[in-house]
Amino acid sequence: MTRRKFIQKLITAGSVIIAGTSWLASKAAPRKFVRAFRVKKYPGSLRPLRDVSKQSKWSG
Amino acid sequence: MCLIKPGQSGECRVRINVDGVLRTVVYGYPCSIHIDPVEKKPLFHFLPGTGILSIATAGCNLHCLNCQNWQISQANPEESQAVFCPPGKLVELANQNHCPSIAYTYTDPIVYYEYTYDSAKLARDKGIRNVLVTAGYINEEPWKRLLEYVDAANIDLKFISDDLYQRICSGTLKPIQNALVLAKASGVLVEVTNLVIPTLNDKPEQIRELAHWIKANLGSDTPLHFSGFYPQYKMKNLPSTSLQTLETAREIAISEGLDYVYIGNVRSKEGENTYCPNCKNVLIERKGYTILQNRLKDGRCPDCNKEIYGVWK
Repeated sequence: MTRRKFIQKLITAGSVIIAGTSWLASKAAPRKFVRAFRVKKYPGSLRPLRDVSKQSKWSG
Repeated sequence: MCLIKPGQSGECRVRINVDGVLRTVVYGYPCSIHIDPVEKKPLFHFLPGTGILSIATAGCNLHCLNCQNWQISQANPEESQAVFCPPGKLVELANQNHCPSIAYTYTDPIVYYEYTYDSAKLARDKGIRNVLVTAGYINEEPWKRLLEYVDAANIDLKFISDDLYQRICSGTLKPIQNALVLAKASGVLVEVTNLVIPTLNDKPEQIRELAHWIKANLGSDTPLHFSGFYPQYKMKNLPSTSLQTLETAREIAISEGLDYVYIGNVRSKEGENTYCPNCKNVLIERKGYTILQNRLKDGRCPDCNKEIYGVWK
């Protein structure tokens, strides 16, 4: 093997290692945005929509 | 960030892991829908005198010991009664009741994020504006996406101390400060609320630090509301905030260079009005949530013509 070929193999191997490590790191890092899906049924009880014109007792 | 195991919910109780898929159990199911005066949010620089359709679902990603809405914010959705009101119905309700805006409020729109986002997007299409009333405890990416459809926000800056955020709210300070800065930079009308709690965050140096941070990072034109505390939930051992404490806080904030500083939850003649930061004349006179007089002319002081921060029509 010539010195040139050795260096080329070294660069290729290094690139594969760096690319593989980056891919693993991206898989391990938490996603920055996840949209939640709806459930089909509300887990609590439902009531009919009443008159909304009355001011709320809640703060805000 | 919550790490949610399969079959479990996050800290907010309303986002769950079902077989590795994140699901929201409250989408389209508000536990509260009312029309409030916009001043109640509190928003004093956004469409004054109008009614705002205000909603909330159960749940919250903070657990403030003094929460005034704990019956719904700390509720399990299984024990919480709701109505079915998908985004389309919500926007229709706002139109039917002649509300120019919708507020996502009472608990925290961050935990019913998808419902807020879809409703806000639809409302924007129909010419209805969107308001968030939130503690701002959210990561940058989802916040940026949501802000695209938000016109105004009242964001709590409960403490200027990370230690107090952890002890009282089970949260941290930095994400909230980042959220405030990003909201203001995005062009959203931002008003800040600080609940003044005796013995915890009512010292003059704390008020000064808070006001200084707001001026330096959000701008002197950012309205600040000092709200009076009443014993609530898990904090019934402390007294209510006195009017004197709130008035002192207001004076300190004004001396630190903030233009618009208000007092809420307690009646205060001067603390309810909007004054021109330039000529000091009264611009908007209020009594509680009622506008007695609005002298603004095209968003400017009628006396010295200074442009006043706000969305006035």
